[in-house]
Amino acid sequence: MSGDPLDATERDVVVVGAGAAGMSAAYAAARAGCTVTIIDANPVAGGQYHRRRIDAATYRPRGCDDEAVWRRIHIESATTVYAVEIIDHGTQRIFGVRTRGDDRHRRDVDLVRARRLIIATGAYDRPLPVPGWDLPGVMTGGGAQALIKGSGVLPGNRVVVAGTGPFLLAVAQAILEAGGSVAAVVEANDPVALRRHRSALTNVGKAGELARFITSLTRHRVPYLRRHRVTRVHGDTTVTGVTLARVDASWHATPGTDRFIEADTLTLGYGFTAQTDLPAQLGCTLQVSADEGLAVTVDDDQATSVTGVYAAGESTGVGGVDLAGIEGLLAGAAVARSLDHPSPLRDEPALRRSRDRMRAFADALATAFPLRSGWRDDLEDDTVVCRCEEVPAGRIRNAITELGAHDARTVKLLTRAGMGWCQGRVCSLAVDRLCPRSATLDGQARAATRPVAIPVPLGAVADINLQSRRES
Amino acid sequence: MPEIIIDGRAVTVADGVTVAAALMSEGIRSWRTTRIAGNPRGVFCGMGVCFDCLVTLNGEPNVRACITPVEPGDVIDSQQGTGHDGGVS
Ligand SMILES: Cc1cc2nc3c(=O)[nH]c(=O)nc-3n(C[C@H](O)[C@H](O)[C@H](O)COP(=O)(O)OP(=O)(O)OC[C@H]3O[C@@H](n4cnc5c(N)ncnc54)[C@H](O)[C@@H]3O)c2cc1C
Ligand code: FES
Repeated sequence: MSGDPLDATERDVVVVGAGAAGMSAAYAAARAGCTVTIIDANPVAGGQYHRRRIDAATYRPRGCDDEAVWRRIHIESATTVYAVEIIDHGTQRIFGVRTRGDDRHRRDVDLVRARRLIIATGAYDRPLPVPGWDLPGVMTGGGAQALIKGSGVLPGNRVVVAGTGPFLLAVAQAILEAGGSVAAVVEANDPVALRRHRSALTNVGKAGELARFITSLTRHRVPYLRRHRVTRVHGDTTVTGVTLARVDASWHATPGTDRFIEADTLTLGYGFTAQTDLPAQLGCTLQVSADEGLAVTVDDDQATSVTGVYAAGESTGVGGVDLAGIEGLLAGAAVARSLDHPSPLRDEPALRRSRDRMRAFADALATAFPLRSGWRDDLEDDTVVCRCEEVPAGRIRNAITELGAHDARTVKLLTRAGMGWCQGRVCSLAVDRLCPRSATLDGQARAATRPVAIPVPLGAVADINLQSRRES
Repeated sequence: MPEIIIDGRAVTVADGVTVAAALMSEGIRSWRTTRIAGNPRGVFCGMGVCFDCLVTLNGEPNVRACITPVEPGDVIDSQQGTGHDGGVS
């Protein structure tokens, strides 16, 4: 490999992420005649929703079934894009896409050149801290699902599924289907609000799915506890149970409603965080979406504010797998057009309309399952908030009340919360919401700006920096 | 079905599973202790984001168990702290 972007292989398009969005985007672009490489961190294509075992059949998005097109697409699995640089030569813009191998091959760095970049990096779970959440046996809903889908292993013997949003039902369903036992589904909000959206649900084809989830809970006699929260996790070296409480609309626990449930596993998830590392790094405009999280801003063509960079799927806001696929097709088509290829899509206006309808529905759904603040009451001084640097809530509160920190960035500098391995991906929401100045676009965007998307061995980066300097 | 070694013990695990899933299917839920408090950790995010599941794989510390597929002959050791102090629990 060479560290010089001008020597690297050039593709018309590099797509980052092989989920529904990235695979659909790649297919549309390749079908139109572009040369396409997909780079994905997972060992096999599929992303979160279509995660599968490595020995399972290859993932193909709906409607993308011309194998001749797939043969022209190069998929680089088990490879992470850790940085992208922009090189402008007169009117020509080229992206230098820096990659790193998986954890067995983390010194294998490489470089691919691209004329266009499509970001389809998806999302990850949004957990909130609770006393005991750092015990083995507590994991995110997506983590539990990934164990089942990716390896056929149950997360535990008796699971409490907690947090908020329809995804809780999907997690419970996955566990039940795999033969596991769910002690309860604990929903902090009151999804009665969802009824208002019944016609929208039917419109986007989600009503049937939700009804199936509910039926399955009933059949397995799994209680669906609305307006409840897990306020404490019990156990010494692993989870032995959780305390639940009824909560009000702001998620504050109602005194006297505590109840202990025996369980060896707890899953947590309060929605998702869009994976915006690369767009933030590239300077793409970000926005706060309906779920209060960050997302990349895109126009009608899925183009970001940075020329040549497009985005599709959950990185532009959480909206479900079908929306991700449509956005991917539209992004692939737009990229192809920008490279003077005809659109590969038969009815683009109809796809755009579906996209807009599904996006509006996703926003409505996010408002039906809002993020409230009552969870903060549970945190004791010694409750770990930043799992990597082991920063307890007491130290964060001290930074705010005694040292005058107003925002997450100052708290981070004073306490190291968010400075560890995960670079704040897990704790930044909680740290932000503990601060007096919180939920701002600016503050969240700053927390999401990471110099590299994944740690790269120093030797490898040093080599690359030298090379980049030589070009400029 | 790949044969691997977990903390010095030879086991056979299912095909196509991750290192984390292999450990969990052996009833192991924690394979790392944290740097500061020495607390046990295992899988948390399950998708490569949180770095809680770090493990020593074939002598190389700090490998994310949740996104690394098992290969035959793998030697998996639980790790303590930074993973560079040696020592298998
Ligand atoms: C845990 C989880 C579970 C979900 N379950 C459901 C569900 O049951 N039903 C539903 O409708 N929706 C679900 N969703 C929403 C779901 O994300 C979408 O439905 C769908 O998977 C989105 O597709 P995507 O292509 O946008 O992203 P994803 O499917 O998330 O794919 C993104 C891909 O990009 C890769 N990637 C990210 N960053 C990089 C990088 N820097 N370099 C290389 N590769 C990278 C990731 O490894 C991943 O493979 C879930 C989301 C999550 C996070
Ligand atoms: S469990 Fe989060 S990185 Fe493996």
